[in-house]
Amino acid sequence: MKHSVVSLTINGAERQMLVAPGSTLIDVLRESQGLTGTRRGCEQGACGTCTVLVDGKTAMSCMLPVETIEGAHVETIEGLTPPQGLHPIQEAFLQGFATQCGFCTSGMIMVAAALLAKNPNPSREDVVRAISGNICRCTGYEAIIDAILDAAVRIRSAAHAEAA
Amino acid sequence: MSELSATVMNLPRRDAQDKLRGRTKYTIDRVRPDMLHAVLLRSTVPAGRIRRLDVSAAHDCPGVRAVATGADAPGLYGIGIADHPLLAIDTIRYHGEPIAVVAAETEAQARAALAAIVLEIEPLAPVFTMAEALQPSARLVHEDWRNYEIITEGGARAGNIAWEAKSSRGDVDAAFARPDVRIVESSFTVGRQSHVPFEPRVAIGSWEDGRAHIQTSTQVPWTVRNVTGRVMQLPPGRVRVTVPPVGGGFGLKFDASIEPITALLARMTGRTVILENSRQEEMATCLCRENAEIRIRSAVTAEGEIVGREAVVLMDCGAYGGEQVFLTTMTAHTLGGNYRVGAMRLVSRAIYTNTPPNGAFRACNGVYNTFALERHTDEICEALGFDTIAYRKKNVLRNGDLGATGQVFEADVLGPMLDRMETLRANTGTSEAKADGRLYGTATTVGTWFVFVGPSAATVNLNADGSATLVTSGVEIGSGTMMQSLPQIVAGQLGLAPDQVIVREADTDAAGLDVGVGGGRTTVSIGAASVAACTEVKEKLLRTAGEMLQTRPEDLLLQGGRVEISGRPGSGATIPAVVAHAQATTGPISGSGAFTAKNTPAMSGCAMGHFIDALDIPVFVVHEAEVAVDPDTGHVEVLAYRVVQDVGRALNPRAIMGQIQGGVVQGLGYALHEEVTITTDGRIAQDNFETYRLPLAPDVIPVTADLYEGAPSMGPLGTKGAGEVPILAVGAAIGCAVARAIGKPVRQLPLTPPRVLRLLHERETQPEFPHIAPGWAANTLG
Repeated sequence: MKHSVVSLTINGAERQMLVAPGSTLIDVLRESQGLTGTRRGCEQGACGTCTVLVDGKTAMSCMLPVETIEGAHVETIEGLTPPQGLHPIQEAFLQGFATQCGFCTSGMIMVAAALLAKNPNPSREDVVRAISGNICRCTGYEAIIDAILDAAVRIRSAAHAEAA
Repeated sequence: MSELSATVMNLPRRDAQDKLRGRTKYTIDRVRPDMLHAVLLRSTVPAGRIRRLDVSAAHDCPGVRAVATGADAPGLYGIGIADHPLLAIDTIRYHGEPIAVVAAETEAQARAALAAIVLEIEPLAPVFTMAEALQPSARLVHEDWRNYEIITEGGARAGNIAWEAKSSRGDVDAAFARPDVRIVESSFTVGRQSHVPFEPRVAIGSWEDGRAHIQTSTQVPWTVRNVTGRVMQLPPGRVRVTVPPVGGGFGLKFDASIEPITALLARMTGRTVILENSRQEEMATCLCRENAEIRIRSAVTAEGEIVGREAVVLMDCGAYGGEQVFLTTMTAHTLGGNYRVGAMRLVSRAIYTNTPPNGAFRACNGVYNTFALERHTDEICEALGFDTIAYRKKNVLRNGDLGATGQVFEADVLGPMLDRMETLRANTGTSEAKADGRLYGTATTVGTWFVFVGPSAATVNLNADGSATLVTSGVEIGSGTMMQSLPQIVAGQLGLAPDQVIVREADTDAAGLDVGVGGGRTTVSIGAASVAACTEVKEKLLRTAGEMLQTRPEDLLLQGGRVEISGRPGSGATIPAVVAHAQATTGPISGSGAFTAKNTPAMSGCAMGHFIDALDIPVFVVHEAEVAVDPDTGHVEVLAYRVVQDVGRALNPRAIMGQIQGGVVQGLGYALHEEVTITTDGRIAQDNFETYRLPLAPDVIPVTADLYEGAPSMGPLGTKGAGEVPILAVGAAIGCAVARAIGKPVRQLPLTPPRVLRLLHERETQPEFPHIAPGWAANTLG
């Protein structure tokens, strides 16, 4: 079977890679790019753990053949993380005790990032709907929901401070 | 600042920043290109005899470096009895049982080579249910059961009864024969629950210096070490186990399973080998919370006094004894808990079947026995016309009451906790209005659990930069004990900030024996060992500082990173200065500590076949649920959920609240929709997330909780484990509330919409157990 060359922008950097037919985005991220922050949960698109952003929209990277997204911009948890300190969503998760075992956390944060980019002032129901495809077995979700609402406040007030 | 105020705080997790940045390296993230990949050949029949197993062609497949079968690891392991081979030897006992394993340069090569293995199995008639297994004519799942090595003496065993534990206190026959009692009998059945930790079981094995080194996602590094030694017939000291961060456990990782296979392949190849369960394999071979059948009878007077109680509990251990052998012990403390009972006898039996083996799951055994006991209690109240809350207040265990094995409970705990629940309810109000025309029910239930204390060891090294390194075999599985409670405890002892406490990853070469993370024991046992280690460190530190400062050590105290002269803040010397002085004069400062159970006495002759005769640290809960049942669809909505939990001392209240929310939600899954069934060919039918219905964000509600402090505990600063019990009484509270809402007896979990509809329309087959004899004694091996 023939390998093909795929070009992607991953966390802002252009990458060209040789991929085997049928390779999924998570295979590429974890195995050839060393980006292990994206975690494998179920490998059938049913748990949200492997969520990344593709052209700004959430995508389950375990279900996405990488050949189908030639030229796309991919953002992972490593790309969202600032060089220093934490992203406001990460800060809200830290202060809100919203991670326990941490395995679902990257996916939750990426879903939250997509939500807050689209809707900076979400209601609780908006947050619940946004994370309804992401399974967490540890927290019982409440701390995560509260942290995403808190992150929205943090991002809005940072934007407000910048504008002022 | 007191030791207590220096310890209690809402410390965010020490490991959170890496987890939030995606930087945490779980076991699977440590795979390297030079590792071999192992893939298991698993049985596709539930029972059979291996007639031919020829792996020679697989050896010759591209990329293959080793193929192993049961012959390569002949030792058997188990808890109580050694009945479990690493890879099937001669006999297949469950669908999915590992038979052979291939290690190759790539996973694809290993998988391809599986097809070259020649395997001929003569099928045997499978025994799928406990009812079948207990038939006198039943085929034995373990024909050779008599010849197994007994690891723990005392349990009665026979054929498909892997283990039997009994407790008996007082004259139960006389109690049931009293003319002034009413006899209430109830039968319950519950299915399995799959843990679904998000990180599947995975291990990386290497062979270094004539020893195995296994890196693995486990709760029990010492068990993995010992089991690996056993199956490979090595002294356990020739196995080292280290544990990277663990992506959830919930008890699934409280036993060894696939880990020793990597050591075996590493020894064969000299290479490092990784083996990871796929999600399908993980769920198809999950060591689930066991399905169980419970019959309970009580003799109750018109005043409500329980003068006699007896019960038979059947626990399906699946193909191998595993944890269920141990857990038979728990019935005396869970089903035998909660209430003051005159005379009581209980038997619990672990039964072999040709189904995937079961294991330990958060508040194991307790979850369904609490459901059974609390529903039975409500049936008593209904039969005798008592108010369910008033009845509980009157009959819960009080100071000086006896448990099933005759242990004396200290202090009034459940009674005051029930009062606190009333206060909590008064503060929150009830949610009946939200039922909005649906059937509304509410229930208040109680539960008894315990901290499984057991041995732990700790070493604390005090460093010249003022930090301390804590070395234990404790594992951080997500609950926060090793990343919150333990750094807090050590910091509080040494006058440091928690971020100055470095927690060493579990390593059986570096730290002493530990039973593992489970049963709510880590904060108590490793905490106590750590306090003991800190005591030695403090003594050395103060002695050295006394010499430096020409002051008596008893006039010195540790706070804010300094050794200060009592009453003179800012005096003395910094800890780094004292440590540096010690290093130059008497040597580096370190301390070690150990802890184990105190062995609370039981009444002589009350407990038979038990691994624990009495509870060293009982833990109590009060759970209250409000539900609305849609009579058209059978859907149960949880409107409100309240918890009062006995925590002894809350070291990190916010972290405990997180454990309560998470544990209750796992319990809601168990009570309402997490269902495991066995197919006609012996497989777990729900082997993916499409078929196994886990709680999702839209399913849950915020749990309101009140932490009850001050009940007696030998834990450090009076603490008790808080992560285990939040799931304990959820099945009970939901079961009782739904029964109240629909006005029908609830005797099975989960309460899926179809089951609720059948109950509503009286079309549900209520549990009846022809394989449980009417007379209690006929259900024991004598």
